[in-house]
Amino acid sequence: MAHAVPVVSDIAVSDLLADPYPIYKRLREMAPAVYVDSARLALVTRFDDIMAIERDSETFASSNPGSLVNKVMGHTMMRKDGEAHAMERRAVEISFRPGTIKNHWAAQFEATSDRLIADIESQGAADLFDTLAAPMASLALIELLGLKDVSWQTLACWSQALMDGAGNYSGDPEISARATEAAAGVDAAIDAVIAWHRENPNPAVLSSMVNAENPMNIEQIRANIKVIIGGGLNEPRDSILSLTLGLLSNPAQRAEVMANPDLGPLAFEEAIRWISPIGMYPRRVTRDVELSGVELRAGDQIGLCVGAANRDDRRFDNPDSFDLFRPKQPHLAFGAGPHFCAGAWVARQMVGRIVVPMLFSRLKNLRLRPDAPARIHGWVFRGPVSLPVAWDI
Amino acid sequence: MPTITFITAEGKQHAVTAEIGRSVMEIALEKSIPGVVAECNGSAACATCHCYFDPAFTEAIGPVGEHESDMLDFTAAPRRPESRLSCQVRVVDTLDGMTVRIPAMQ
Repeated sequence: MAHAVPVVSDIAVSDLLADPYPIYKRLREMAPAVYVDSARLALVTRFDDIMAIERDSETFASSNPGSLVNKVMGHTMMRKDGEAHAMERRAVEISFRPGTIKNHWAAQFEATSDRLIADIESQGAADLFDTLAAPMASLALIELLGLKDVSWQTLACWSQALMDGAGNYSGDPEISARATEAAAGVDAAIDAVIAWHRENPNPAVLSSMVNAENPMNIEQIRANIKVIIGGGLNEPRDSILSLTLGLLSNPAQRAEVMANPDLGPLAFEEAIRWISPIGMYPRRVTRDVELSGVELRAGDQIGLCVGAANRDDRRFDNPDSFDLFRPKQPHLAFGAGPHFCAGAWVARQMVGRIVVPMLFSRLKNLRLRPDAPARIHGWVFRGPVSLPVAWDI
Repeated sequence: MPTITFITAEGKQHAVTAEIGRSVMEIALEKSIPGVVAECNGSAACATCHCYFDPAFTEAIGPVGEHESDMLDFTAAPRRPESRLSCQVRVVDTLDGMTVRIPAMQ
């Protein structure tokens, strides 16, 4: 017989932000879905349950009438299902194909990475968050989108303001105002280049959107560019840092990767399993349904904790350790189903093949600083917020 | 309904009847055939439902799409002339008797 979703009231959001993994472990062992008061969501934490949910987008929808994302960004493809989602996704897909990335974007990512590393090479120490990971992710995204005359700092501000707005459940007017201002900035930046992209087809996302078989209208373009800015900056940034941290903390694995750069992509997949940059995303239950023995009701809001699923010990041995040589099997860091991360191949190439290998080969004897430990923060989005390192000069 | 035989990397055969109109990937998942991962569930975005299809059925299967072909260049197991993403192959009557080999890695 199916049971009701258990409710837990003793978890503070601050505990989730500091370190969600012990909480995830408790929830995973408790039930397939557990309503966490402070998060106002039933959290799903087991690997197989999330996989099953993502294979049934009719029962577990992405569209959500009350979505804050829609309020802040407009009606984006991330909150659509079925053909409406598929058509918009097809319109941007060509920019993100692995072949396009290898043949077109890789050289630009390499040049950007090279420049950023050259800027710090003679310093002997730096925090890789703001000297490498953040500018790299932001500059790459500016190129990918096809924006012009936007600084990496501006795009990073927009991204943060849009994400804060999308997570502004308490309705803080200051956060709303900043999100509105960022949205206006993005719209102006699109207006400045859209005609050029229409006349000069190229691999950038804005060009794909206007030149697709089913071109997007201006509302679709504005909403989807915002969702890509909101969701496409912190993931490559955070995974650059998590992969670097994983390798610096595990000298034997680092030595293997430096001896064989083809292990870079494998190390990248392990880094995003270990610390998944997107730790949780929501779905809406559209009909009464049983999930592995618990009853979910139509209208329930559930949170798929892929950060928890990627450390599910039913699936991964010693899930808390970074081990790129663990048996290869799928993880959920890119999600699953129709909303599988559109930027997956961009991240694989940029982080696993270009930025991190270049960092380790250029900065000799790169090491963590015992006097300034890395700080990792977040649960919905999680990653290092500071990664101080030193190297020989 | 046509019969399709999946052969795993270890050489184990699974003969299944396949519903017309579904994708070969969907059939593999439904019948719990090991080795077809299908992370993106049929959006041709992840390249983890890669299989080697019986060359005798190339015509019945139909041509490789441009997007699919791009993905096939990045599969974990080597691409071969008979490589396809199984999510992009629809079951039709004329596929009766086809074998589908599953690679060792996705």
